[in-house]
Amino acid sequence: MAEGKVAMRTQFPPSAESQKPRLKKAPEFPILEKQNWLIHLHYIRKDYEACKAVIKEQLQETQGLCEYAIYVQALILRLEGNIQESLDLFQTCAVLSPPCADNLKQVARSLFLLGKHKAATEVYNEAAKLNQKDWEICHNLGVCYIYLKQFNKAQDQLHNALHLNRHDLTYIMLGKIHLLEGDLDKAIEIYKKAVEFSPENTELLTTLGLLYLQLGIYQKAFEHLGNALTYDPTNYKAILAAGSMMQTHGDFDVALTKYRVVACAVPESPPLWNNIGMCFFGKKKYVAAISCLKRANYLAPFDWKILYNLGLVHLTMQQYASAFHFLSAAINFQPKMGELYMLLAVALTNLEDTENARRAYTEAVRLDKCNPLVNLNYAVLLYNQGEKGGARAQYQEMEKKVNMLKDSSSLDFDPEMVEVAQKLGAALQVGEALVWTKPVKDPKSKHRTTSTNKATSFQQPLGSNQALGQAMSSAAACRKPPSGAGGTSQLTKPPSLPLEPEPPVAAQPPEVSAQTREK
Amino acid sequence: MAAAFSSDSDSGRAESNEASSKWLDAHYDPMANIHTFSACLALADLHGDGEYKLVVGDLGPGGQQPRLKVLKGPAVLSESPLPALPAAAVTFLMEQHEPRTPALALASGPCVYVYKNLRPYFKFSLPQLPPNPLEQDLWNQAKEDRIDPLTLKEMLEGIREKAEVPLSVQSLRFLQLELSEMEAFVNQHKSKSIKRQTVITTMTTLKKNLADEDAVSCLVLGTESKELLVLDPEAFTILAKMSLPSVPVFLEVSGQFDVEFRLAAACRNGNIYMLRRDSKRPKYCIELSAQPVGLVRVHKVLVVGSNQDSLHGFTHKGKRLWTVQMPAAILTMNLLEQCSRGLQAVMAGLANGEVRIYHDKALLNVIRTPDAVTSLCFGRYGREDNTLIMTTRGGGLIIKILKRTAVFAEGAGEAGPPPAQAVKLNVPRKTRLYVDQTLREREAGTAMHRAFQADLYLLRLRAARAYVQALESSLSPVSATAREPLKLHAVVQGLGPTFKLTLHLQNTSTARPILGLLVCFLYNEVLYALPQAFFKVPLLVPGLSYPLETFVESLSDKGISDIIKVLVLREGQSAPLLSAHINMPMSEGLAAA
Repeated sequence: MAEGKVAMRTQFPPSAESQKPRLKKAPEFPILEKQNWLIHLHYIRKDYEACKAVIKEQLQETQGLCEYAIYVQALILRLEGNIQESLDLFQTCAVLSPPCADNLKQVARSLFLLGKHKAATEVYNEAAKLNQKDWEICHNLGVCYIYLKQFNKAQDQLHNALHLNRHDLTYIMLGKIHLLEGDLDKAIEIYKKAVEFSPENTELLTTLGLLYLQLGIYQKAFEHLGNALTYDPTNYKAILAAGSMMQTHGDFDVALTKYRVVACAVPESPPLWNNIGMCFFGKKKYVAAISCLKRANYLAPFDWKILYNLGLVHLTMQQYASAFHFLSAAINFQPKMGELYMLLAVALTNLEDTENARRAYTEAVRLDKCNPLVNLNYAVLLYNQGEKGGARAQYQEMEKKVNMLKDSSSLDFDPEMVEVAQKLGAALQVGEALVWTKPVKDPKSKHRTTSTNKATSFQQPLGSNQALGQAMSSAAACRKPPSGAGGTSQLTKPPSLPLEPEPPVAAQPPEVSAQTREK
Repeated sequence: MAAAFSSDSDSGRAESNEASSKWLDAHYDPMANIHTFSACLALADLHGDGEYKLVVGDLGPGGQQPRLKVLKGPAVLSESPLPALPAAAVTFLMEQHEPRTPALALASGPCVYVYKNLRPYFKFSLPQLPPNPLEQDLWNQAKEDRIDPLTLKEMLEGIREKAEVPLSVQSLRFLQLELSEMEAFVNQHKSKSIKRQTVITTMTTLKKNLADEDAVSCLVLGTESKELLVLDPEAFTILAKMSLPSVPVFLEVSGQFDVEFRLAAACRNGNIYMLRRDSKRPKYCIELSAQPVGLVRVHKVLVVGSNQDSLHGFTHKGKRLWTVQMPAAILTMNLLEQCSRGLQAVMAGLANGEVRIYHDKALLNVIRTPDAVTSLCFGRYGREDNTLIMTTRGGGLIIKILKRTAVFAEGAGEAGPPPAQAVKLNVPRKTRLYVDQTLREREAGTAMHRAFQADLYLLRLRAARAYVQALESSLSPVSATAREPLKLHAVVQGLGPTFKLTLHLQNTSTARPILGLLVCFLYNEVLYALPQAFFKVPLLVPGLSYPLETFVESLSDKGISDIIKVLVLREGQSAPLLSAHINMPMSEGLAAA
């Protein structure tokens, strides 16, 4: 190759060597952009160390005039978390070449990351003046407005962005606005359009599936979640949501195998361990259920749903004292749910504290609007106490709820509940089981009944927390000796029995809402 | 309904040894010292002897020693230094004459160096960019000494802020200077004409007028000035010039220049622009919302790797066809073309040391390499048709040969449930003790509950009593009286026998300063000695924490420690506002002595 070199010298007159004589007069300036391509290649490969070395070299050679090198250095600094420093560098870039939309965009982005949304919108607006057809500017402006809680402006900007160029991210943000505004239907509309536009985006599919799940449209929910899982079989959210639906249908083993994937990916997820626990509960492996739920509780000590499930499992295990603690903790976090008070009352009944049990029932009945189980259990307690009048009133209340449910949905009732109700009806000499016109066929369908009940009961608003305070303190205050513990022979146990078919129901709401909250 | 998720479809998983058996390991040299990008790798029959060589535009370790290397088999055939870092290397046929040996073009800085028979043949330099006429005018005036440096500076700054055409390096450098240096600078440089030079960022080839394998090709250059140039293969004149909205990083061309061609350019702003013959400006645009790290055309599909670890397929009109998520960042991409089977696929080198081969979105094969692969190239090497050449981050060279019997089957890669599904759930175990306690609770639940409630009540009662007592005797470290809201906390430092006791006293009222406070220490005089057991507190400005320091001498040598009580008093009142009990540590200094 030696001769090649010689040839090069003779054949290429303007090569570096032949310029040397002139160099002495006035030094040739290096081309500023000489290594921009190299900086960029290192940057996109995330080889930041090499990138920084080239940037340093280039900046030294050009005495800090190379704008692109500074720009990439600022980008790297921002990736490393030094947002303020990167902002300073972007501003240096802006000095080197003022009218540049890209640079302004980065300045705005840094401001955005620093939480200065107001300032970011101003810079974005300025950038928008330079480049009107940039979806990114519109999109980011929209996101800034979301943080500023100006949803109308945000929507306008996001729609503008969609108009310029459609991107999944814009759809997601638009959907988020609707969710923040509590408009599920509009959010679903947006996500539907988004899925149409990019049918393989698992995040969109999962979100849409979860929204359908929230609305109780199970068929569609399952369809979308299933699609998400075909494209990405390790999607954490989709697996959890699909798993909870399988649990509702009693496919505990399938759900458990699916959860294994999540357990590998996100081993510290509270909803995951909650759902696994409830799978074991469904399979009647109570000890495993308790250990999984306790892990979930350890990971998320303030999640009332996990506490609810723990209470339920302990009730089933006849560990009433523990159940009482979990349930009262759950009530502290969620004071507006009738079922929780009912379960507390069941625990108290079994702890032979009838007085407080009654108070808890009163609270449960006051809060709950459509679960006949609450009234039934209360009626049983009253009956056992010998208060036939009160029991009858509760029984009638229960009949009302049952009739209402029959009208509104075509779902069946839990056979165990029906049985107890019929027994009680006979004992009270009322009703003659007229209510239960629907024959109970499929034991699986009962879960649905209760689950819809629960869904509606979430939405029931409730006023004061005072009543709860009373109930709680009274429950905690029980130090009185038991009165007439022996008198209730046959009907003391039943109240806890109707609870047993609940596990999948209990498993579901925790999971779903946990999912939606994460978004 | 749950059938879709059934777990027993565990078949079709590609065994790693089965996958690797598609390839023969021809050569691996971890110390080959080749640092380059896929754009700087080319395979060609440079001498026309049917023996294909590998041309590497090597950046050298740390990008310090750019070299042109030609490899034959595992050995380096020739090596020559380059004047600047190579941005791209391609081989192409310049003319129709026999023997049809391809020429080698190497883009570096503002020039393309063309080699024939591995001898330098021609150097093409990018034309100078037109300078700003105003700037030119100013320097001309400076040349004739009609303008002083200060005015020149002001005028140039004015141009920099407004003008469309950016300033030359000379002017920019001048603007950075201090007042004293300006004169000399102007004198030194005023006679030079203003130059604006750009550099080549990427290069590829485009067939001139025939679609044949061995047809004459033009060079297509992408420049830092956001332009694309097509060069005539013989005369090296610029045949066509196209402009882009951003700087091109990767180019992908198909078709023939004289007939019809499609050009895709991935740019630094994250967009990919599509151009056709006769279009001076981009016709379609793909907005990736991420940086492209590779661009490969497979038949009619444009495969783009993004720096968000995903591979996208687009039509030539910019419609997204599919997306595949990668397990790690993509470092480089290239085309795999197995002519004998008519297969075209995309190879992607990942940061986790894998090379994945995709046909559309189906994973065909995974090659695991000892180091992350940074450049890839597939084709005829030596006399072997299907050779894969890879260089690694550490400068290693890997050569693999595709077995002639190997068939890439779709779905041979990743199928079925993810591997994590086979892992058993880690359910926490419960001990025997737990089970025993459970049984106990079942038997005596009521009693346990009552005992617990009773104890809870006692606890609450005690807590309440202690609280009341603390309030009554001002034992708490926070005084909540309306007139003197104060906070006190104490720190003891030192090993002994002398300790430093620092009291932090803070006035927590919003506006009112407190005056006339006293601090008093109560302690056992046998054990401790303080220089001042009683002193006045200065005026306390609201919000500030005042450190009050005092020394405590431990007198006992028996390793005894005691409590020192601190009382904060108001002048003229005997009841303290605040008090604190400080548990003094044992004097370790004394114990050691």
